[in-house]
Amino acid sequence: MTTMQRTYVRVVIVWIGTLAALYVFQWFYTS
Amino acid sequence: MSAIDWGIIGVYLVWIVWDGIRLSRDTGKLEGYFLASKSLPWWAVGLSVMATQLSAITMVSSTGQGYADGVGLLQQYYALPIAMIIIAVTFVPFFRNANVYTAYEYLERRFDAKTRFATALLFLFSRGMATGVVISAPAVVLSVMLGADVTIVCLLLAVPTAVYTMYGGVQAVAWTDVKQMYLIVFGLGAACVTLIAGLPGEVSVNDALNIAGNAGRLQAFNFSTDPSVRFTFWTGTLGALFLFLSYFGTDQSQVQRFLTAKSVDEARTSLFMSAYWKIPLQALVMIIGVLMFVFYLFTPPPMLFNTVHDERVRQSARAGEYASLEQTFSGVVGERGAAARGLADAERVGDAAAIAATKAAFLDAEQRVKDVRAQAVALVKDVTGDNSYNDVNYVFPTYIVTQMPVGLIGLLMAAIFAAAMSTIAGELSALSTSTVMDFYRRWVRPEADDAHLLVVSRAAMLFWALFASVVAIWAVELGSLIEVVNRFGSFFYGSILGVFLLAIGWSRCNATGAFVGLIAGMFVVALVTINTSIAFLWHNLIGAVVVFVVGMIVSEVTGARKANG
Repeated sequence: MTTMQRTYVRVVIVWIGTLAALYVFQWFYTS
Repeated sequence: MSAIDWGIIGVYLVWIVWDGIRLSRDTGKLEGYFLASKSLPWWAVGLSVMATQLSAITMVSSTGQGYADGVGLLQQYYALPIAMIIIAVTFVPFFRNANVYTAYEYLERRFDAKTRFATALLFLFSRGMATGVVISAPAVVLSVMLGADVTIVCLLLAVPTAVYTMYGGVQAVAWTDVKQMYLIVFGLGAACVTLIAGLPGEVSVNDALNIAGNAGRLQAFNFSTDPSVRFTFWTGTLGALFLFLSYFGTDQSQVQRFLTAKSVDEARTSLFMSAYWKIPLQALVMIIGVLMFVFYLFTPPPMLFNTVHDERVRQSARAGEYASLEQTFSGVVGERGAAARGLADAERVGDAAAIAATKAAFLDAEQRVKDVRAQAVALVKDVTGDNSYNDVNYVFPTYIVTQMPVGLIGLLMAAIFAAAMSTIAGELSALSTSTVMDFYRRWVRPEADDAHLLVVSRAAMLFWALFASVVAIWAVELGSLIEVVNRFGSFFYGSILGVFLLAIGWSRCNATGAFVGLIAGMFVVALVTINTSIAFLWHNLIGAVVVFVVGMIVSEVTGARKANG
């Protein structure tokens, strides 16, 4: 795997983490 | 506003022009002027991309939407990181290796001159109009806040930007964008801190967010499948994916940025700055709106935030009706504040029955506040004739001017100016590049030398600055600011993206297929816009798919060929 390919994977992981954090935030303050 | 705040705005305007001129290099050569001699580091390109994308509309209108409706708009940005990966894998190496000045230049090599001509023309038309909206949005609001004529504010935004962009080209744009981005982020952070500090002593940040959550202001995910709902998880991940692919991958204002990077990998890395930071930054913008909502639960807000309209109605024949509404408003705002305090207390104790009771009282009072405000807005529209009036665009500037300390007011106003100017500069530079490279050099003077083309480039930039300023005045009549910009884009974005997808992803596509596909895509999007209530973010997907499918079919029917570009 090249450095750039590892970067793509990192972007996807951070993306999923960001959306998950937002979902937990919404759940915490609206449930 | 105090003299200190005016001074800060003045210093900012002088400094940014001086800084843009100071940092420009090699502007005597075409490649230096339009592509910064492909010498910019990834972080400068990345910040420049973010600054161009974060316009004053984001600061003024998105915070207002956060105040009125909550964080739902945030969903529009969910697909951005994935779009950036797709662009990094596909568009970036294609454009970089093709050694082009504009994205549309590549289409002539791949298809023919008329496809380049059509897409470049669509870009000039839609981006020229959008630049006008980018000027008018903050100008209208700032003119009310600063007590200045809207035309003067338009000129305050357009003239300094045009000066440093004309002088330094894309380098001036990129380096000023970097400074402007720092100022914007600092300003947003300062607003957030001031809002938290302005909450009553007994209301913590946690209480504030609990209240906002109970008021439905923290719905960051809406999984509705109704295609007429504007912002849902699906419009944000599917519809907006195509918008971002088109905007960041094929729009000259963005493509020009990654063409200025030192290498393909630096260009890719610059895009990932947006992939990492755009959603958190937009979340900060929306949270500022939500915090303003909570702040104004405990600090009585004005019934209407536009003081000019407010004064006009007070002076009109319907002043009595307005005063009566104001009296009602004052009463329900008091009830809402008391209910909010009760809800915060109940949440702190954790008493489920008390939470349910206080929440019901709070939501009831909130609805009555909304109803009175809606009546007041309707009254303003009747009296002033301003049918596109949207009061939420004035909430954040009003908060800045009336609640923030001296010094920070000037800084925040300068940040709004910076947000507008960074976007305007990027657009002017791209408009000029496309005008000169796709039209003047291609059709009028192919043999012209760099010196001649640079003179024409600066003249083109001046023309587009004037054009955008005229559109800015006209755009005031068109309604909700953020939607206007996106609607302009959505009409063409998906179709232009479809042509690039054919160019890169369908090697058998020929020039006739691409051109007919483009026309078909725009036609279908126009039909969908006129005849259905499908949310505008879906138009991008529809346009791209129609162009791709029609392009494939027409290519096969008319004699598909292998790509030569």
